[in-house]
Amino acid sequence: MNHVLVIGGDGFLGRWIVELLLRRNSDPNQPNYAISIFDLQQRYFDESLTYYTGNLTQYEDINLAIAKSRAKTLIHTASPPHGLNSKIYWDVNVGGTKNVLKACVENGVEKLVFTSSAGVLYDGISDLVNVDETASFPKVFHDDYHETKAEAEKIVLAANRQNGLLTCAIRPSAIFGPRDQQLAAGMIKVMERGQTKFQIGDNFNLFDFTYVENVAYAHLLAMDKLSSDPDIKVGGEAFLITNGTPIPFWDMPRFIWSQFNHYPPYYIKMSRTAGLALAYCAEWACYLLNREQGFTRYRVKYACSSRYFNINKSKTILGYSPPVDLEEGIKRTCEHLVQQNPKNGK
Amino acid sequence: MAKALIDSAFHPTEIIALIQYKFTQSSSSSSSVLTRKEKIACWRKSKIRCYEFLNLTSRSFAVVIQELNEELRDAVCLFYLVLRGLDTIEDDMTIPIEKKLPILRDWEKIIATDGWNFTENGPDEKDRQLLVEYPVVIEELEKLDTVYKEVIFDIAKRMSNGMADYATNAAHNEYGVNTIKDYDEYCFYVAGLVGLGLSNLFSASGLESPEVGKNTKLSISMGLFLQKTNIIRDYLEDLNENRRFWPKEIWSKYASNLSDLKDPDHKKQAIDCLSNMCLDALQHVPDCLVYMGNIRDQKIFNFCAIPQVMAIATLALVFKNYNIYLRNVKIRKGETVKLIQKATNILNVIDIFRHYTQVIITKNDSRDPNFLKISIACGQIKQWCQTLEASHKLSSKSKAFNKTSELNLFDAQLFILFVLLLLATTGWAMHLWGIHWEQVVNHLIFFN
Repeated sequence: MNHVLVIGGDGFLGRWIVELLLRRNSDPNQPNYAISIFDLQQRYFDESLTYYTGNLTQYEDINLAIAKSRAKTLIHTASPPHGLNSKIYWDVNVGGTKNVLKACVENGVEKLVFTSSAGVLYDGISDLVNVDETASFPKVFHDDYHETKAEAEKIVLAANRQNGLLTCAIRPSAIFGPRDQQLAAGMIKVMERGQTKFQIGDNFNLFDFTYVENVAYAHLLAMDKLSSDPDIKVGGEAFLITNGTPIPFWDMPRFIWSQFNHYPPYYIKMSRTAGLALAYCAEWACYLLNREQGFTRYRVKYACSSRYFNINKSKTILGYSPPVDLEEGIKRTCEHLVQQNPKNGK
Repeated sequence: MAKALIDSAFHPTEIIALIQYKFTQSSSSSSSVLTRKEKIACWRKSKIRCYEFLNLTSRSFAVVIQELNEELRDAVCLFYLVLRGLDTIEDDMTIPIEKKLPILRDWEKIIATDGWNFTENGPDEKDRQLLVEYPVVIEELEKLDTVYKEVIFDIAKRMSNGMADYATNAAHNEYGVNTIKDYDEYCFYVAGLVGLGLSNLFSASGLESPEVGKNTKLSISMGLFLQKTNIIRDYLEDLNENRRFWPKEIWSKYASNLSDLKDPDHKKQAIDCLSNMCLDALQHVPDCLVYMGNIRDQKIFNFCAIPQVMAIATLALVFKNYNIYLRNVKIRKGETVKLIQKATNILNVIDIFRHYTQVIITKNDSRDPNFLKISIACGQIKQWCQTLEASHKLSSKSKAFNKTSELNLFDAQLFILFVLLLLATTGWAMHLWGIHWEQVVNHLIFFN
């Protein structure tokens, strides 16, 4: 029996990893796992799982969970959501990860798979065009979230082959899927607000959107492939994970809207500069009126930038190929949104 | 020329290209080797006759073939005439099948038979004279270097047998192409094999590495992309002559008959079906780009790249273009000339492919059932463009690539410049002659 502990196992991605592990347990041809979860609070209640609630910033919490779970394999996906203050990111992403590593040594853990992000390569300005793992980290990161993710990744990879531990990092790009609160949900909001006619930029910028189950699958592959065999070069490495099908940015929301039979009758196209100027005004207006900011300069830049990757390394070394293609992934995500909120479906 | 200029009126860069083309054409190297008098003085009569046939039987191909390096040029010219002869028999519906079949099956032997000719083509067959005088082709083929001969005979054998199979395939002749697999197979026989043969000739000449010939998948894609683009564009023409190349597996999703697509009641389905056909053709583009990236010889590069850039331009033009169901759609002469001028190195070719891919992206519409698939196919092409561009920029750092894009100003910008210039000169002239705007306006409105 393999004992696995998923840190952040009740989060969006973490839960998908747990579900894939459960899927293996119900398949007689696959290895069986004793699955434990460490998270801030318990949101799912499966009988076959063991829960440990605690705070990653408290060494004792995580150390106890690893000891009790007897896990020799760790998947560390815990991270605070976007949009919080700097201290939380440093505490959880860097401090928490250091705690995990210390506890790994303490308990003789053999394998650690760490969830990083493709955003660790983003400096907030430059396009990421067909970038692969040979690219180095930018001098300046575009936000605290990604700066701390990069820092944690460095620490994790440096711990490879120290004290009998093997480590690697998965860098997914723009994850979406059922239960995702950010990407697809945000695009639905735009539809509900009736803002689908607007297009900022020329829509020539490609973007890698990644279906969550594929990312979870990549974690399991990494876990399987981590080995002390020197011919298998997974330990100490980072792997970019995408669906392998970059598309023009605006085609993603348009396809999502089409799943709800929403088709903008025409498009009002504006340049990036015009978009930035308008967003600047909108930010001020929202600030003055004390409203939630929807149209921000950050989003304008996001929608106009190219962010796609070359995932050959993951394909060759991990043997990764996305089990769910982009179209199927989006359809599943939209079906889930309809189930959640039936007023969307027409 | 005048028509071409008018068509390009709103694309000043094309007008410049057309004018440049006109001047370079009439001055230095002519499009036909036969007019380069000094060279052919010592040629055999049969060789001269072969080149005359090349110019007679092919419009587009003849020009590019004759730009090739001398030795390879003869091989490619004969390769072309061997396939053209075969095609002239296969295509002629006045020849009864029992007469046609043995010729197709034996084609590879026939082209090694001294003095063989064929006089039974219908009087309307435009290329019948080629077969009447076929001994000149056979004679020249005989004299060709063995390495080339082997390639030509091999492809001739495979293609003629493929054609014989199709000629006896009742379902194919009655209902047209059925599955996508059949479609690929059909295109393989009529175009993929040509790609294979040409690649083998390039490698045999020593001008290209053996890998060009060995990587058969890429060579086949080169042929398939061209063929599929033509099949899409020629929907109406083919249908009028009762040829059905669009695979049923695709069109049956949109109509119960292939010919229903041109029915105005089925406009939406017709456009969607067209998108599906374009999507199918787009799948071959990455292979084509990789193939062209492997070509080293400048003349071979031009030879390969010109048809490819025309194909992607045509595909971008026909995509979502309902006119293909109404009439013959073609890219403007000016656009063609501009493409030919530009398609001289891989970086420029990548630029061209990227440009037309973006045209397709912009036309793509979320109402289309293949919207996301087309989006992904375009994304894939752009990613390949990026990968190849990076590797070629890296490898060509030493021998600085001359990018022929001085004229790469946007059409729109140049157009505005023209208009401004025109206004400025008129204004200046009016000022000189003491005419006021009011007078002009008054004259136009009240005294007309």
